[in-house]
Amino acid sequence: MILEIKSVSDSVKAAAEKSDLFNEITFSPEKMIDGDGLFISLVGYIIVFTSLLLLATFISRIKNILALKQRKKLKETGHRAADIEDLSISDETNAAIAMAIHLYFAEVHDMENTVLTIKKVQRPYSPWSSKIYGLRQSPRK
Amino acid sequence: MQGLYQFFEFTGFANVTPGHLVMIAIGLIFIYLAIAKDYEPLLLVPIGFGILVGNIPFLENVGLQIGIYEDGSVLNYLYFGVVKGIYPPLIFLGIGAMTDFSALLSNPKLMLLGAAAQIGIFGTFMAALTLGFTQEQAAAIGIIGGADGPTAIFLASKLAPELIGAIAIAAYSYMALVPVIQPPIINLLTSKEERIIKMKPPRSVSKLEKIMFPIVGMILTTFISPGALPLLGMLFFGNLLKESTVTKRLAETANRALIDIVTILLGLTVGASTQATTFLTPQSILIFVLGAISFMIATAGGVLFAKVMNLFLKGEDRLNPMIGAAGVSAVPDSARVVHSMGQKEDPSNYLLMHAMAPNVAGVIGSAVAAGILMGFLMHLL
Repeated sequence: MILEIKSVSDSVKAAAEKSDLFNEITFSPEKMIDGDGLFISLVGYIIVFTSLLLLATFISRIKNILALKQRKKLKETGHRAADIEDLSISDETNAAIAMAIHLYFAEVHDMENTVLTIKKVQRPYSPWSSKIYGLRQSPRK
Repeated sequence: MQGLYQFFEFTGFANVTPGHLVMIAIGLIFIYLAIAKDYEPLLLVPIGFGILVGNIPFLENVGLQIGIYEDGSVLNYLYFGVVKGIYPPLIFLGIGAMTDFSALLSNPKLMLLGAAAQIGIFGTFMAALTLGFTQEQAAAIGIIGGADGPTAIFLASKLAPELIGAIAIAAYSYMALVPVIQPPIINLLTSKEERIIKMKPPRSVSKLEKIMFPIVGMILTTFISPGALPLLGMLFFGNLLKESTVTKRLAETANRALIDIVTILLGLTVGASTQATTFLTPQSILIFVLGAISFMIATAGGVLFAKVMNLFLKGEDRLNPMIGAAGVSAVPDSARVVHSMGQKEDPSNYLLMHAMAPNVAGVIGSAVAAGILMGFLMHLL
């Protein structure tokens, strides 16, 4: 490990020594063309653009590919929605469904029903719950 | 008396140079900006303090093993992760685990804005070449325009390790200064009518799409640019951990504990690498200037490309060109700046989610660009 670390420092120093730039700053536009600088820039930029374009194209197709199965299912059941171009559900609809489910399970509603249900609670005897064995009784002195 | 004199020789007072004092002042400014102005505190506090640590003067080359460039010192061991490009992929793992690509998946054409903004990288690459930098150094400097600190460090570690300190400081400084640099450029390139454009709300994205994206994205981008594999592989892996929802613990570790640990080590060592004796050169200042130009070109490139796209888009499909500025990958600062600018123009206009799409595309784009530059230039080393 120590040897490796040494090589790290050495590589930094060696690269710094190799660089002429630490001695002087020059301005030479011809260097842009020499050594394929311009070529690297142009081709590099085109490749970046192409790769992200390919990714974007794929993403835009995923939705349609995934919808195929759903559309087939809808057609089999004779549902009209099978012909709709965009099968995705909007965020607003999702939010409304989520809220409705939440309200249903949380039973938050404005109108309380007026029927009172009184359930008899069964209290079967067990020595574990027996009052006579409880600690509420004062211990004998 | 002799012993006292010898002790004095070892103190900072005996070894201090004006350069050390300048760097200490810069470190204090970083800490001030982070704490008082809230400019990227998670980055600027470790880097600022690292600058202080790295610029405490001491007697060099006498075997004390305390400086970051001294073999065997603790800081040298920690700096190993920077010089060998170990920390950036780990940061990308955390970023992937905390990034929601939904905005991008719901409107894939915004991916092109992330690609357009990468013009800053290649433009500055050419500018650096004309100023006499070698091709490898020029590429490492150009990547600052991606506004992506980890990518900049990764590429610099491979192509120009001697410039890592300056490049990292420049990249992180400009990331922190996004709220200062970008608004004037956006205002200059857009009209009031364009800035108030409201975009169509993004559609909801299915879980399956979110799971497929990191897998396909990784395969597609790294086949084209294998040099970016350590970065993109980790980014998409982190995202799969998050989106699969079956590895919640791993995702949480990656996006909290792991990224925090690596950020501390990276920030501190990058800051400490600015030791005045090796850092304060005219070239470092030049790198700062080129970095600023790179960042400005990238911002302008994104905004202008959004305007070009608008020529082909109609009605509610039109883009608010301000989101093009978020094509630089300073996540989420760029998107936040665009959102707040949009809110200033029209408080009912919410651009954050729209701007997040080119923002995360910019992360992918700058990593791809780094891989391409490596592919072109590594054989020259």
